[in-house]
Amino acid sequence: MVEAASLPRTVPGAHRPAVLPLAASLVGIAIALLALIVDLHRPNGESAAAIVLHAAGGLTYVLVGGAAWLRRPHNRTGALMVAVGLAWFVQDLTHLTSPLAFALGDFFFVAYFGFLGHLVVAFPSGRLETRADRVVVAAGYLWALGGNLFTHVLFAPAGSTELLVLHRDATQYAIFDAIQQGLDATLCVTLVALVVLHYMRGTPPARRAIGPAAWASGPMLLAAILLSLPGVIGLAPGVENAVPVLTPIALASLPLAFVFGLLRSRLAVASAGHLVVELGSSPPPERIRDALAETLHDPSLALAYQVPGREGWVDAEGRSLDLPDRRSSRSFTVLERGGVAVAALIHDRSLENDPTLVEVVAGAAALAIENERLQADVRARLAEVTESRARLVTVADQERRRLERDLHDGAQQRLVALALTLSRAGERVDERPGETRALLADGERQLRKALEELRRLAAGIRPAILSDAGLDAALESLAEDAPVPVTLRATVDCRLPDQVEAAAYFAVCELLTNTAKHARANSVTVTARLEDGRLRVEVRDDGVGGAQFGGGSGLNGLVDRIAALDGQLTLESPEGNGTRVEFELPCA
Amino acid sequence: MRVILADDSVLLREGLARMLSESGFEVVAQVGDAEALLAAVDADPPDVCIVDIRMPPTNTTEGLRAALHLRVHHPRVAVLVLSQYVETRYAMELLAQGADGVGYLLKDRVGDVSELLVALRSVVAGRSVIDPTVVSRLVGRRRRQADPVETLTAREREVLGQMAQGRSNRAIGERLFLSPKTVEAHVSAIFSKLGIEDTADDNRRVLSVLTWLRGDGEGARS
Repeated sequence: MVEAASLPRTVPGAHRPAVLPLAASLVGIAIALLALIVDLHRPNGESAAAIVLHAAGGLTYVLVGGAAWLRRPHNRTGALMVAVGLAWFVQDLTHLTSPLAFALGDFFFVAYFGFLGHLVVAFPSGRLETRADRVVVAAGYLWALGGNLFTHVLFAPAGSTELLVLHRDATQYAIFDAIQQGLDATLCVTLVALVVLHYMRGTPPARRAIGPAAWASGPMLLAAILLSLPGVIGLAPGVENAVPVLTPIALASLPLAFVFGLLRSRLAVASAGHLVVELGSSPPPERIRDALAETLHDPSLALAYQVPGREGWVDAEGRSLDLPDRRSSRSFTVLERGGVAVAALIHDRSLENDPTLVEVVAGAAALAIENERLQADVRARLAEVTESRARLVTVADQERRRLERDLHDGAQQRLVALALTLSRAGERVDERPGETRALLADGERQLRKALEELRRLAAGIRPAILSDAGLDAALESLAEDAPVPVTLRATVDCRLPDQVEAAAYFAVCELLTNTAKHARANSVTVTARLEDGRLRVEVRDDGVGGAQFGGGSGLNGLVDRIAALDGQLTLESPEGNGTRVEFELPCA
Repeated sequence: MRVILADDSVLLREGLARMLSESGFEVVAQVGDAEALLAAVDADPPDVCIVDIRMPPTNTTEGLRAALHLRVHHPRVAVLVLSQYVETRYAMELLAQGADGVGYLLKDRVGDVSELLVALRSVVAGRSVIDPTVVSRLVGRRRRQADPVETLTAREREVLGQMAQGRSNRAIGERLFLSPKTVEAHVSAIFSKLGIEDTADDNRRVLSVLTWLRGDGEGARS
């Protein structure tokens, strides 16, 4: 029921049998044992402790890396660790008597350093995220694989008997060896700086993931610097003797840190159990998010829900929400129930490195999440209803205002003028009968106007023909009176519930007014019919199109009135290509 | 001439009654709803009823229903319906039961005494009267479409309007200051242009003109 949507779990090779990691690990173990045996039996070798530590250092990488590789084949971290371990033992080739082996060991003495740099910079995702990362890692490889080759072949020390040597010069060798060690140190510092930078820039969960590597890379790279420095500044003999002992210990700190990170993740997974107890069956919504954020150590964690009957995702308040895309620093994990996506955890991308944790934690919270999803659904509907109710109230209010204005500016003004005219006529009735007659005629005209306005007003409020003869007849009357020629096909042929007839009538009224005002149309076609117990009305014009919801179009109020009766309205109005509005209303 | 008044507004009824009495009509009964009207007519049929279209209990078209009832049961009683509604459908409904002796006037006309009296006398004489506002709405409706009405001259349209209001050739001539012969020429031109069958009977004529205007008889309602 839990699926990590953003993880490339189906990448080719992900399900290949784990032959490669196993083989590499076994080879690594064999090499470590061989190195141990060879070094211990070598005359004038290092101390037994140093030899064991040396072998253990490389072996740690091989073992931890192999395990990590098996566990997460798609993450390069494991493979890189094994590579570091294997490359580590290249040094031991110099302990063999074969000149070829010696030359290889000498030339690629610090080859492990290239893999190590790659590992540290890419930790823990195994990916190189930025250009700077890639440049530094490439420089590391170039130097680790080519540095010794370059100095030892081109500027070999005076007495060198190595294979492939082209040129010997003691002074030049000293200079270039010092330069090389200086560059080693620089590269080390750069690597440490990159890791610190990653750490500082990281989100809390990212920091948590990088943390072990950051802390381990410090001593490790410091040891590497110590290893490189003797040639540049020289070290006290005691310190110099400590280097072969310190280096493997420092080196092993990274795989150990990795193991620590794994353990911690295991603990977090175990603590997911507490989550279930803590959340119970119906926690307050924000509590789920907080508990998940806490368990995943991602304070920015967000939850998204899929609500029936709505496209896309919504948050706990029912507002629309987009899931992060691949380029974002955020990622998401989709929760499914019965094969249907119900919710998504939006979390830091670094948590992709710990999919098990996210899955287990999300799974543990599934019940509570499902619960909250239903609540989000309810809230989404409620938010819609609240908004639409507010708009309906506004519309009703505007209607009242319009009525008041029409009455006040129209009929009322005329009646006042009439009263005035009559009183003037009254004053003149005795001495100037001619003028009186004219005034009375004037009054009658004003009265007629007022009557006509009142009649129009009354018809606009609720036409009697609608109540009396039904929708077809009312639409016909509307069509007769419309300023734009209307072709009407009304085939309802029966009476519908009052509110349906009224809603449909006023919707057509509004649409015809809109057409007259905005569409510059030559003709309008109005179709009204019953289909499967639903009234379907279409108003289509041949005007300029481009009508939109919102603004002063009045379409929003229309949508609300239709929605209030559980109806639906669709608008098609391509620019320059007419407008088509269709709405349907259930008549049950 | 004996008149029954049916209107739920007492004020208007009284005013109308006084005006009619002054003009030589005899108001035999005043009623406030359709039921009372039918009862009054049954009891003592008058020459003409003036009926408000809007009366209790529903205040929609009780008057019209009552008028239609009277047309069937008392065909000799003329009916003048006063309406608040400019609805061509109602006018047509009223005429459909026989156009002789019926009228559909907007209530505003009550303000014009002479017009009302002319209309009243017309229906009593067995003619039909349709309010010019209703007629102009019918004509306007035809004019907006690619329609034969467009081929009429301005004068012919005027004559058409007069016919639709129920006027005879002679009345049209008086109204538009035309000789009877000229009116006749216009009428036959109109009929041939619109493809309406001419009829000598003025009442049948008004009905066929109105029916044609409304487009009811042509199948494709528009």
